[in-house]
Amino acid sequence: MLINNGFNEDKIQSPLRYIWSIFKSKSIAVVAMWLVILLIFAAIFAPHFVPHSPLAQNSDKMLLPPYWVDGGDIDHILGTDDLGRDTLSRVFHGLQFTFGGAILITFIVAIIGMVIGASAALTKGIKASILHHLLDALLAIPSLLLALILITIFGPSYYNCLIAISLSLLPQFIRASYLAIEQELGKQYIIALQLDGATNLRLFRYGILPNILEPTITVINRLFTMAIIEIATLGFLGFGAQLPQTELGSLIASSMELIYLSPWLVIFPGLAIFLVIVIVNVFAEGLRHAVIEGEE
Amino acid sequence: MLSFLIRRLNLLLITAFILTIIAFAIDRSVTIESDLTLSEQPNYFFQYLSYLFNLLDGNFGYSSLDNQPLLTRGLLFFNATLELCFSALLISCLIAIPLGLLAGLFRNTKLDYMIMTVAIVGLALPVFWVGVMAVLLPSVWGDVLPVDGNLSLIYDVPTVTGFLLIDTLLVTKEYGLFAFFDRIAHLILPSLVLSFFLVTEIIRLTRHSMTMVMRSNYIKAAYAKGFSRRKIVFTHALRNALPPIIPQLRLQLSTVISFAMTIEIVFNLDGIGKWLFTSLKAGDYLVLPAGMLIITGFILFFSILVEIIMVIISPLRRGSLYVDK
Repeated sequence: MLINNGFNEDKIQSPLRYIWSIFKSKSIAVVAMWLVILLIFAAIFAPHFVPHSPLAQNSDKMLLPPYWVDGGDIDHILGTDDLGRDTLSRVFHGLQFTFGGAILITFIVAIIGMVIGASAALTKGIKASILHHLLDALLAIPSLLLALILITIFGPSYYNCLIAISLSLLPQFIRASYLAIEQELGKQYIIALQLDGATNLRLFRYGILPNILEPTITVINRLFTMAIIEIATLGFLGFGAQLPQTELGSLIASSMELIYLSPWLVIFPGLAIFLVIVIVNVFAEGLRHAVIEGEE
Repeated sequence: MLSFLIRRLNLLLITAFILTIIAFAIDRSVTIESDLTLSEQPNYFFQYLSYLFNLLDGNFGYSSLDNQPLLTRGLLFFNATLELCFSALLISCLIAIPLGLLAGLFRNTKLDYMIMTVAIVGLALPVFWVGVMAVLLPSVWGDVLPVDGNLSLIYDVPTVTGFLLIDTLLVTKEYGLFAFFDRIAHLILPSLVLSFFLVTEIIRLTRHSMTMVMRSNYIKAAYAKGFSRRKIVFTHALRNALPPIIPQLRLQLSTVISFAMTIEIVFNLDGIGKWLFTSLKAGDYLVLPAGMLIITGFILFFSILVEIIMVIISPLRRGSLYVDK
């Protein structure tokens, strides 16, 4: 092989590589990234590594506190509920439903919303105007109400709850991506590309997409946060996951009457939701800062 | 100005029209036999027309549980929800605007990071869970604040407006101001919980707009004139940083209302969320289109109002009126 180190030219890093090198220098964001990866693995493989089945009842060990409190049992680290079911296993299974569902919603809504938003921004005339008015109308319906409506029509189940939440978050995402693209369209380099005769697809891929990275990350982060809160809220209200399924919100709802006897049952699922949202937000914030610095 | 108003009202009408179609679709899909259905109408088009005229008459149908007119009941409950939302807005503005301004002024310092951490924590706490935790409070701290219901049961307040703060002021002859204070005590905890989310949002918006203003040229010019930092911040920056927050905040209205609905269910407050929830659980599906029309009608009306107010108070926005000419 012919390698000549003496005449190596200075490599110009590609933008993505450059952003990654900035991201790597922020230790909190990197920690958050590993935690997110860990969460995803935990959500996928939860049934294989939790110590107990989430539905296994144990009449000898009911309402145990966590093991660091007097009377706790090391076999059930976070204690047990009124039927002797292990809280840790139930929280991990809940993570599977809540966190996994939120990621699924985020992916689907982001892709569909970006396609619709981009096609609305890049086309003119009647199509854009109809979309505009329809979105205005849908945006005026609060997402919880829209979810309630859809669930009333289709019946409560976990998958209907996911569909309802995606439909209620879709207009917000379309509107956000539409506004971002619209803002980008007025800029000079886009006009230059258009004068070059670029098709809309090429314009979007090479002109717009790299430049709307930062607002898109913000919006996707927001989408994920709202999705996870709404899955949990609908589960809590009893419109989401049905009984044998252990969704974090429905875990909280089912231990509501035990709240004075054993507040742990309510505290741990809530803390799990809280931690998931904080971790993802720190990760997204780090990514956003890296992108902003990379652009400057 | 007139053409601007007409354009806005036009938008309002079209959106309201689409919403009535959606309400009609919900009405048809959740009910088999509805009071509003005039069975002599042959097809959906004429059924929709009669539905629309009923709506314009103010006849949203009757609840199948207590046979009350849905419109008046819904509006009364919705007023209670609005009261909750606005008190939460008040609390969160008092907390968040100073914090956001500080974070924007001292960007990328320790203070900024601390405030933004508070903001992320506020966003990440699920509202209903905080509500459940707040309901636990009396068992920890004793009876500091009531956590249940709109008003203590000893007060018999006739419902006039639905805004209980006003209703309790109307009965000062019997109870003095005690009923009013009791209402405020009942309102504090739910609105604090609701304001968690709003605080985050307002801190973010204020910080962003303050940073943008401090970077602008007229602030640099003011520095060049030799004004002190305090004078620049208070006389030049604040007046330009705060108005852009309002239309941004308007977009959060529907999220706030959906959180308020959850909080009502947790705290057992009378409001549109609890009304819808209990009615749906009892199988009275007709409340859905009525509740949807009331909430969305308010949101539409409010957003147009905000836009008109913005045009009146902000010269920058007024410029956009003449863009077409």
